[in-house]
Parts: sequence; C-alpha cells; structure tokens
Amino acid sequence: MIESLTVLYGALPYLFRGTLVTIALVAGAMGLGLVVGVNLAVGQVYGNRWLRKAIGIYIWFFRGVPLLVLLFLFYFGLFSLLGINLSAFTVAIIVLGLITAAYQSQIFRGAILSLPEGQLKAARALGMSDRKAIVLIILPQALRLSIPGWSNEYSIVLKDSAVAYALGVMEMMARAHFVASRTYEHLPLYFSAGLIFLILTYLGTKGLRVLEEKVRIPGYSR
Amino acid sequence: MGKRILWVLILLLSFTLVTGVQAADKVYVNGIDANFPPFAYVDKNGNPDGFDVKALDWIANEMGFKVTHKPMDWDGIIPSLMAKKIDIIASGMSITEKRAEQVNFSIPYWKIAQVLVAKNDCGLSVDQILSNGNKIGVQRGTSEAKWMKDNLIKKGKDFSLVEYDSAPLSVEDVVNGRIVAAAMDDAPAKDAARKKPVKIVGGFGMASEDFGYAIRKEDTELLSTIDEGLKRLMASPYWEELIEKYEP
Amino acid sequence: MAHRKTILRIEDMTKRYGSKTVLKNASLSLKEGELKILIGPSGGGKSTLLQCVNFLVKPDKGRIWLDGEEIIHSRKKELYAYRQKVGMIFQDFNLFDHLTALQNVQIALVKVKKKTKEQARTRAINELERVGLGDHIKKYPAQLSGGQKQRVSIARALAMDPKVMLLDEPTSALDPELISEVLDVIINLRLHGMTMIMSTHQIGFASELADELVFLEDGNILETGPPKKMLSDADCERTREFCSKITELYGNSF
Repeated sequence: MIESLTVLYGALPYLFRGTLVTIALVAGAMGLGLVVGVNLAVGQVYGNRWLRKAIGIYIWFFRGVPLLVLLFLFYFGLFSLLGINLSAFTVAIIVLGLITAAYQSQIFRGAILSLPEGQLKAARALGMSDRKAIVLIILPQALRLSIPGWSNEYSIVLKDSAVAYALGVMEMMARAHFVASRTYEHLPLYFSAGLIFLILTYLGTKGLRVLEEKVRIPGYSR
Repeated sequence: MGKRILWVLILLLSFTLVTGVQAADKVYVNGIDANFPPFAYVDKNGNPDGFDVKALDWIANEMGFKVTHKPMDWDGIIPSLMAKKIDIIASGMSITEKRAEQVNFSIPYWKIAQVLVAKNDCGLSVDQILSNGNKIGVQRGTSEAKWMKDNLIKKGKDFSLVEYDSAPLSVEDVVNGRIVAAAMDDAPAKDAARKKPVKIVGGFGMASEDFGYAIRKEDTELLSTIDEGLKRLMASPYWEELIEKYEP
Repeated sequence: MAHRKTILRIEDMTKRYGSKTVLKNASLSLKEGELKILIGPSGGGKSTLLQCVNFLVKPDKGRIWLDGEEIIHSRKKELYAYRQKVGMIFQDFNLFDHLTALQNVQIALVKVKKKTKEQARTRAINELERVGLGDHIKKYPAQLSGGQKQRVSIARALAMDPKVMLLDEPTSALDPELISEVLDVIINLRLHGMTMIMSTHQIGFASELADELVFLEDGNILETGPPKKMLSDADCERTREFCSKITELYGNSF
C-alpha cells in the first residue's frame, strides 16, 4: 500500500504533463471539429444537391471507420503519400478533429433545423446575403442550442484521445501504462488515470454549463 | 458556400503544415516500446531508459551521430519505421524472417529465450501448463505469440492464447489467476520475477531468438554504422556494465 | 392623384409548386403613397404574391420594376440592394430571437447599410420610439407581447428607409386586444404617405384605408377596385360572395 502510494506520488508530475498533452489534443480536436462541423452543417442544410451529397459521404466515412484505422490511415498513409511530414500529435488532432466534426455537424444541423424558417426569411428581407444571414442570425442561435450536445461530444473526444498513443503521442493514458510496466503497480495507476479523466470530464461539462447559462437568451425558456 | 468550406480547409491545412513540419536535422529517432523493461521503459522522470536505450546512446556517441528515443505503440512500430516517422528500432526486437522481409536487421546483440511465467505457488510443469484448455497470456504482435499459434495450437496442443498490450499486463493477470501462465522473453520474465510473486517455469520449445536493431532497407549506411557501433560496444567494458545494471 | 408616379410594377408573376400553380400571371402596380390590400380566402396566393415581390419565394415567371428599373434577381448584389428598399412584415413577426429590440433594428443598419454603430443606434431608437416602444429597447423578443413584437418588426423595416412596404397579414397572429396597437402604427404609416401592399382579413380596416382592394383566389387576381365598389357592388360573382361572408365574420368597422 505504502509502496503503491510512493510510486503514484513519484509518477504524478509525469502523469500531469501527459494530462496537458491530453487537454491540448482534446482542445485542438474540438476546435477543429467546431470549425469544420459548422461548415458541414451549413453546407448540409443550405448547400446544393452535390455539396449535400459530398458532405453525406464525409460524415458516413468518418463515422463509419474506426478511430484507430483512421489514425494509421492518415499518419502512415495519406500524409506520407502527400510527402507532408506531420508530427503524430498534429495528425492525432486532425483525425480526432475530423471525426468529431462529423458528429458535431449533426448537432449543429439539428439546431439549425430547429430554428423557425422565418429567421432566415426576415434576414433576407432586410437585404442580407445568405452568408451574412447565416453568420449573424442563424449560427448565433443554433450554436447556443448546440451547447448541451457539444458538451456530450467533448466527453467522448476526451476518452477517444487515449487512442492517440497508437501513433506514439505521449498522452496521459500511455504514460500511466509506461509507469505501470516499470513498477508493476497497474491498478493504482489506471485508477489515477480514470480519476484524471473524470475530473477533466467534470470540469469541461461544468464549464460548458456555465457558458450555456451565460449566453442564454433572456425570456427564452428551454 | 462550398468554396468557403474549401478555403477553411486549405487554411487549416496550411496552418498545421507550418506548425507541424519539423526541421530536418541529423538526429536519428529510435522508436521504443516503453512497456518492455528492462530493454526499454521510461524512468521516474519520464525519460527513456533501459538496456537498449543506453546501448544506442553509447553507440551514437562512439560513432558520432545524435539519437532521441520515442516511445511508440508496438503494434505500429514497424509501420512507423517504414513511414520514416522513426529511423531505427532498438527495443528488444527479435530477428524473424517475416520482419526481415520488411526491414534490415543489425548484427544480433542478445540471445533471448522464450519462457513461461507462472505464480510462485504453481506446481505445474511446462507440459501440464500447455494443456487442459488452460489460458496462456502473451503480448500481441510478438514472435512468441505467432510461434505458439503456428507450432503448438495448430498442432493440437490444448490451450488458448489471451493477448495483451504488454508483457507486464499479462503478468498482472497471472497474479490475478485469470490465466495460468504468460509466455515472454526471458529478460522481462526475470524483471517480473524480481517485482511480482511469479517465477520462470521454463522454456516451451521455441528456439532461442536473437535481438537486433531494425533499420529501413534503403538506409544501408546507417546499418553499417550501427553494426560497427554494436561490435565496438560489445568489445568494450561498458557492455558488461550494462548487463550488470539492467540484468536482462 | 393622377400624376403620382408608379413605384412598383409587377407583371405576369407565376409560381408553381410541383404541378400546383399557386400564382397565375399576377400583375399589379403601385403608385407612390398608395395602399393596396390583398383579400381573398386562405391559400389563395396572397402570401405567395407578397413573398414573390421581394423574391423570398423565387417566381417561375414574371418581372418586377422598382422606380422604373427592372430587378434581375439572379444578380445577387442587385437583389440585396432591392430588398433593402422593400420592407417586409411577416404574420409571425420573425424577430431575431437572440437580439434585443434595439439590436433587431440596428443589425441590418450596421451590417447591410454599413452605418456606424452610433448612427445605427440613434436611428434604431428613433424608430422604436415612433412605434411607441422607447421603453422596451433592451428587451428580447421573448420578453415582448405579440403586439410589441410586431411593432419592433415594423420599426426594423422602417429603419431601412424602404420605398415600399409589404405586410403579410400583420395582425393575424395577434390576440384580439393587441390588434389595434399594430393597426394604429400602420394607419400612421399610411398618413405619412408610405407605399404599401398588405394582405389582411381585417376587412373593415381595409375598406376604410385602402386605395384599392385586390381579390385573389386560387392564385388568380380576379378583381381589383376601390373598396366601396368591391364590398357592395363587385363585378365578379366570387368577389361578392367572399366579401359578404367576410363582412359578416369580421364586421364592417374597426
């Protein structure tokens, strides 16, 4: 028991550095997912037939192929073939980001479709281009509605981020594994790793709830 | 709208390009499986350590090149080498025919035997362990995993394999009693026996293997540098120091 | 009267949804300061006609002139500039739910008309005061009553300095006691000479204020004429039937 705690205590700084890597991975992926996801959603709702079809294929692909396969495909395949030498960390962010973009796009799409049709009409009637109407009128409302779904997606990406070790990204879970291999204290280390994930989930969802409350439209009951 | 999405993607891509591309200097990257003590692991401070790590450091110093050690998932370590993500694998890799089709190996530097590890109070012999439908643990993707499938199970031995991410994890399950024994190289087995209530029961008929460093086929110059370095290392007193320190 | 110039001219407007033609060769012209009121049964094409006028619904056929200039709606820049000059009021207000009353009026002034924030703010406050909402500028749509919302939407349209206003049943979604506050605003607009096309079931209001009533049924403009004639002595049998029924239902005064 004492021995386990000593090992754990000694490993904490190493695990925390890994936690920062995990946070960076998740933040990067969620950010990329947001930008790409919003564009996918807008394209899917307002785009022409071909764009909608292309986005449909994108979503089908990134939701259907397992994360590990996509990581290998991009890291060893696509970027190598293109002669682009990206770090494992960057590739992990891109792949996690493109996958969550597919899921996030469906959150945003649902939110956009739930808005009354008249919002876009009123914006157009004032002489706004579709682009302006979407950026100024549709998205600010749709994004507010998307926060609960987005929060859900955050906890999924957080857990998925551990798979990035397959490319050698030294995130938190991989580090817990290394320390366990050296010290044979598997259980305490995995327990700690689980605890760190729980705390990150809590902090993230809590933060998003605060944000949701902060941007809530007064008088609007939801 | 489609054009806009394209632009955003291009922008993102170019951004990650600029930040992601690493300057091409002459530092060789050694991919290690950091779950393979005592040959490769990370120390208390998170720095790569182990018999192979220190050996390669010495060789680099001797032969005049720089090397860094990058922990990798064992499943992806050869693809990483082929895709030039790493330049060398010095991490307790057995020289096998199958692997030699893809990569070049250095001269062998360590002879390793495959053994079974069981609980201290286990009274079974090797033959008894590999029968009765017993469950045997093994690290996925290793030469012993392949050998046991091809040469024991397919030939009618009555046991089944349970595959793990690493040898230490299979040892944990031996201690838990979920599997009867685990098959692994003798060096990590000794490491486990020092740290856990397990013992080495003995070999299970697989011929001993040689460890070698793996290098891409086209990097012939690096290969001869490494071979020369290994020869010098094994002739130096530091070699004995390493063996004494890491007890492989 | 006879010398006023034509502001808006619509010719041969046709709209089909699938095999159903909801608007057939509708033609209409509007002189400066004129108020024309579209009447007719629901689904008769009133709303479609109004939305075709500013191309919120793309007509399959038809041409539109504003101040003598034809609008080609496939040219985006022209379309956006044209829509700024044509104010639209919707049945269900369509205020931007995430913006305050003030921001609702302000946003197009800043983002479309490229006014400074300060100019836009002053103008927006003026317009809101004009419709009697000076005390409510900080409120969000969800905090306003239906009548207040519709007045904000009128202020929002007026702030763009429109040459023509299109009002699509502006009081239909309102509780009866809130109708008059919106009608008062519209009367006021009329007195100030705003050119308008409006669809409504408020037949009393229509007969008092309109220069002409336009009767639409099954996508056809069946008859156009001064209110008195249309309500008591219409040429067309269908118009007479509709007008007597609607007068019975909604009364003859407002």
